[in-house]
Amino acid sequence: MDLAGVLLTVAIASFFAGAPLSLIRRDLGYLTTFGAALLFGAVAVDALLFGPVRGAAWGGPLGDVETLSLDALSAFFALATSVVWAATSVYSVWYDDRPSPVLAVTYALTLGAIALLVTASSEVLFLIGWETMTLASYGMILEARGRTDRVYSAAFVFLAFGEASTLLVLLAFAGLFVGTGSLAFGPTLSGTVLPSLVFVAGLLGFGLKMGTAPFHMSEWLPIAHSSAPSNASAVLSSTLTLAGAYGLFRLVSLLPGPPDWWGALTLAIGAISVLLGALFAAVSEHSKGLPAYSTIENNGLILVALGVSLLAGANHLTLLAVFALFAAFYQALAHALAKTVLFLSAGYVEHLTRTFDLSSVEGRATGPDRAALVGTLAASLSLAAGPPLAGFVSEWMVLEALFQSYRFGETWAQFVGLLTGAAVALGAGLITVAMVKFVGFAYLWKPRCARAPSERGSLGPVVGAVAFAVLTVGITAPWILVLLAPSVSVVMGSSVAAPIGGLLSVPNGWSILSGAPFGILSPPMVPIAIAAGVLVAVGYDRLGRHRAVRRVPVWMAGSAPAREGETYTSFGYSTGIRLMMSSALRTREVRANAGAITTVGFEAVEPYSVELEVFDVFKLFYDGLLVVGEGVSRVLKERVMPGQLGRYLAYVLVAVLVVVVYIASVST
Amino acid sequence: MTSRPWSESLRGPAGALGTEHAPAYLPIDRAFALVNDYGTGRALLWRGPAPAEANEVATLWRRAAEAPRPHRVAPEEVVEGYGVFTFPYGPISMGVPESGRFDVRTYGERILTLGPVAGFKSRRILGALPGLTPEDALLRVERLAGNFSAAHAAAFLAAVESAAAIEVARTELWTRALAQELERIYNHLHQIARVAEAASQNVGLAQTHALAEEMLRIEGRTFGHRWLFGALAPGAPTRRLDPEGRRWLGRALRELSGRFEVLLELFLGSRTFVDRLQTTGVVSRERAVRWGAVGPVLRATGVAWDDRLRAPSVPYTDLFLELPREDGGDALARILVRAHEVRSSALLLEQLLDRWPGDAMAREAPAPPVGPGRGLGRVESPSGDLVYEVRLTNGRIASVGMRSASHANWPVFAESLRHAVFTDFHFAWESFGLVFAETDA
Amino acid sequence: MSSWVGQAIRRGRLTTRYPAEPATELELPMLARAPRPPAVVPDRLGAIAACPVAALSAAGGSGIRADEGRCIRCARCAAHGFDFSGSAECSRPDRAGLLVPPVPSGPGARAVPLRQLGRSVHVFLVDAGSCNACNHEVLALTNPYYDAQRLGIFFTNSPRHADVLLVVGVPTAEMTEPVRRAFEALPSPKAVVAVGVCPIGGGVFQSTPGLAGSLEELVPVDAFVPGCPPAPVSVLDAILGLLGRSRARTEG
Repeated sequence: MDLAGVLLTVAIASFFAGAPLSLIRRDLGYLTTFGAALLFGAVAVDALLFGPVRGAAWGGPLGDVETLSLDALSAFFALATSVVWAATSVYSVWYDDRPSPVLAVTYALTLGAIALLVTASSEVLFLIGWETMTLASYGMILEARGRTDRVYSAAFVFLAFGEASTLLVLLAFAGLFVGTGSLAFGPTLSGTVLPSLVFVAGLLGFGLKMGTAPFHMSEWLPIAHSSAPSNASAVLSSTLTLAGAYGLFRLVSLLPGPPDWWGALTLAIGAISVLLGALFAAVSEHSKGLPAYSTIENNGLILVALGVSLLAGANHLTLLAVFALFAAFYQALAHALAKTVLFLSAGYVEHLTRTFDLSSVEGRATGPDRAALVGTLAASLSLAAGPPLAGFVSEWMVLEALFQSYRFGETWAQFVGLLTGAAVALGAGLITVAMVKFVGFAYLWKPRCARAPSERGSLGPVVGAVAFAVLTVGITAPWILVLLAPSVSVVMGSSVAAPIGGLLSVPNGWSILSGAPFGILSPPMVPIAIAAGVLVAVGYDRLGRHRAVRRVPVWMAGSAPAREGETYTSFGYSTGIRLMMSSALRTREVRANAGAITTVGFEAVEPYSVELEVFDVFKLFYDGLLVVGEGVSRVLKERVMPGQLGRYLAYVLVAVLVVVVYIASVST
Repeated sequence: MTSRPWSESLRGPAGALGTEHAPAYLPIDRAFALVNDYGTGRALLWRGPAPAEANEVATLWRRAAEAPRPHRVAPEEVVEGYGVFTFPYGPISMGVPESGRFDVRTYGERILTLGPVAGFKSRRILGALPGLTPEDALLRVERLAGNFSAAHAAAFLAAVESAAAIEVARTELWTRALAQELERIYNHLHQIARVAEAASQNVGLAQTHALAEEMLRIEGRTFGHRWLFGALAPGAPTRRLDPEGRRWLGRALRELSGRFEVLLELFLGSRTFVDRLQTTGVVSRERAVRWGAVGPVLRATGVAWDDRLRAPSVPYTDLFLELPREDGGDALARILVRAHEVRSSALLLEQLLDRWPGDAMAREAPAPPVGPGRGLGRVESPSGDLVYEVRLTNGRIASVGMRSASHANWPVFAESLRHAVFTDFHFAWESFGLVFAETDA
Repeated sequence: MSSWVGQAIRRGRLTTRYPAEPATELELPMLARAPRPPAVVPDRLGAIAACPVAALSAAGGSGIRADEGRCIRCARCAAHGFDFSGSAECSRPDRAGLLVPPVPSGPGARAVPLRQLGRSVHVFLVDAGSCNACNHEVLALTNPYYDAQRLGIFFTNSPRHADVLLVVGVPTAEMTEPVRRAFEALPSPKAVVAVGVCPIGGGVFQSTPGLAGSLEELVPVDAFVPGCPPAPVSVLDAILGLLGRSRARTEG
């Protein structure tokens, strides 16, 4: 074990040590996780640059060796998560004012668990981390303010979906073990049927954690993530879903060359996730529900990119497969960073205004905190794929990959690529609406009441720092892609140095090529061009005749400046989408009488209240599932487990007999 | 004509007229008359014979003129809900070239309730009329709502003549009808052009707008004024219609209505135009009758009410009038009624010019006064029923009350837009042809 | 051709030659012109008394001075020999310029306030309390007969995009604030045109209780267009005058 290995072991131990330290003093726990995150990130950079790092090792259950290790693939995810955690840990010191240390303890445990599963060298260790992560996150969600029914049900839903995910992952790993005979991540599975089963189980299991279709919508991720305390929301939405993505990529790296329907399935799930995630984000009124839906959209994009990569692999289009994988990685990185800012910012807004309701925030967070404003603006611009930020580059790459679906051999595959492209483009438009709504109504709205004072100082530096990372990742994309090449190589199962060195993907800095005869983008040139434009404009203004700036009130068609209740609500802002997309959202208006009927002249006037409701079609699926589940439970309870001792003794007897017969048959 | 000035004849013993002349048409050969009592924010409906104090229509109208300003002109409906807010539209917006505000309750995109707010341009004209001679008052009444000036002038003059019980020259009455029909054609064309603009039918807009301009030029050439100000003032120098002028007028009108027929056919052949108007801003017949809607709005719901037929005065008593009627109650029905009224007005004008009374000396008795020195005048303005009530004392105005088509149509207008989308607004607004200037008199 | 295009072609060009050529009789009917007194007014006091809006006053000698900013074209002075022979180019940059014959006045107003805008100007219409006739006349500028767009005049839906405020109607008490707000919302350089006698001096409503004052008392006015209502060509000329492209100026 070299120095890096020691440091890696120390980092992971420190994450877990944060939990007992939190009991002494909360700030101590958060500072420990902060330090651990920095260390973790440093080791990850080391692993990316200089090859795999191996930490502590011990004997596994089946005689193999369990190791804490970072190869290039896990190092990428370790790096992304550590940046997020550094920010959320500092933020937590500012944010967590709860009397009990439970949040701090579960927070540290969650971080440790994710770090553990990312560094796990075997399926067992991975599952330990996975399960610890789920349980610790459950504890975090329960710590949400108020402990309302919503919180309890959100935590329960989270746990239920988390365990379903674990079950599917377990299934996938069991398949891996059966096929390879090893619990370690290493040997590649071979065969035809088994890999497909493993892939589908893994796609659904990890996809479940990522909140992608068909396991998403109001059913779990947005509710769970938005109900949690804000620091927990950031950890859940940015890094817990990242853990899901890591699992998926790890699994793909262990599978043989894919048949084409894997890619198509992934594309389909991704496309639906992108579309519906964006749609629900655009109509969400919850300042944390909106970013949570956007998480689904982003994870959908990761799946889309992965799907293109798999399809391209099946069609022996290695260059496109590599490029699409790069897009997936970049999308994961961009999303993790930007989404962190958004959740931290939503927590800041909540702290200032005591509400998650965007319609009643009404710009009360607007104020002198420029860093928070600019940071949130940058992050939401990135999520809306605005140049020159990270999200812009990743979305460009995803779309470029999709555009090249004409290269697929089969017509139906081309068609799937085409449809997915349309869904992604529509999703990008809708997510822009959502992001404009978030920043506009939380930060940019002209406040009509006094800005709520912050009792705990500014959040600007933290938000600003992560947002700066978003900008940097956007501008320096070509060099970062070069850095990511080993990670992509792990998934591809072969070195991607050749395509990088060649004309494809990334030539030596400055620009990204998306295919031999295809698109090109130079991320560093975008900010240079923007800056040049700004310079020209400012210079023109300075050099030309200087005009005095005159500020006048907003033009309100001649009316006096708007009063309370006379301006657009965030709900009103997105009602257009509610009505336009009513077939997908099942929009309906619910009216109720409110108050007494009065008579105006001869005309009776009934005051009424009106709600415009949207409905998640996936809820029908889960409602059905619930009915079936309840029915099965009832049958089990009444027929199988009626509470009679004799019956249970008989069950035990039968079980013993079965085991005896099995052992006898095996030993002979 | 007699050498006696018109106003001189007003100075007769107006008070000498008894009440034996039953009020001709207030209590009411119509089944209803609606007065919005804006002063108290209430809407009142009278049915059947008017109660005693209902004779004092002008009291209510005067109170309307003194109403707190700006004020709602339709009953207020209360709607609450998540994300519901009030969107104030106006008073200055190019979508509605007049000044008035609309308080839109909405959760975005859809109008839940619409509260029209009038009174921004309250010039308090009617309140300033007492003490003036009818001629001077006429200058102000004409300029009360410029695009309906002939209708207002005619109704006002009829009320004055009724109050003073003075006979009027036959040519004078025919001239008034002529001016009103010209004005009606202009306004309907203008309204159709505006609807075409709202529907982005740009060629249709330009063509119809051109026809409206031609109408103004015809009016200008005939009466010396594009808006007919001064056209109906007895004794005004511009109002002589010589045979040559009548011939020119007839020719110009024939040409114009021929062009309009072509445009109408093109409009009705344009699916996008018709589709956009259909089921937009619907007023049911039941609601229209209940609220006392008038004019094309009422006729578009299938009720064939028109003052020119139901309360006719000379010369409408002698003319054939084809009364268009539609059943849809939507913007399309209102626009169709207007379009067909262009046709029927052209027919009326043809009859007027054809049978122009040569004998200027023949005189007609006015409608009988409704009380001592008190008279009513009622005409069908382009937007509907317009009533003036005038009291005279010693030949000078004692008080003037007015109930315009706009007054009557505000409530149904507000109702027709309930649950419509924002973009329906202009179709409803232009097809109703409401005028803030009338309400803000 | 029974299509819109065919109809448009069949109707041909309708647009006026104004301002290249003078306004025609149809564009400028009798009462759209200002009345001019005869060389000798037989009954001077009678004529002055006949005017219902006190637009006539005694000038030096036996002359008579007409205030076009008050004249509502009621034509009562026609009985005293006045004839309606005013021109379409009736707008003036200052209130005193509307007096005929003029009185010696102080320094003149800005001659061409929007010359720097060159060939394009955006116009916003504000109704301060009009009877709707002036509104229609201003809107008529967009019809094919006047086609103000050909001269670079465009109507906007917001004062924030406009260079010129066209104000019609008597400023009522309720509209004073909205008119001021609209003026404030206009970016500089900007100009205000008082269209019709109502915003200039109240016209026939100068004594009604609803009148809050003249437009000049609210915002600085750059062009006064008399008339009740002024003909569209007069409004067109006034807007062009702000740019230094008035017909009177190009001819002179």
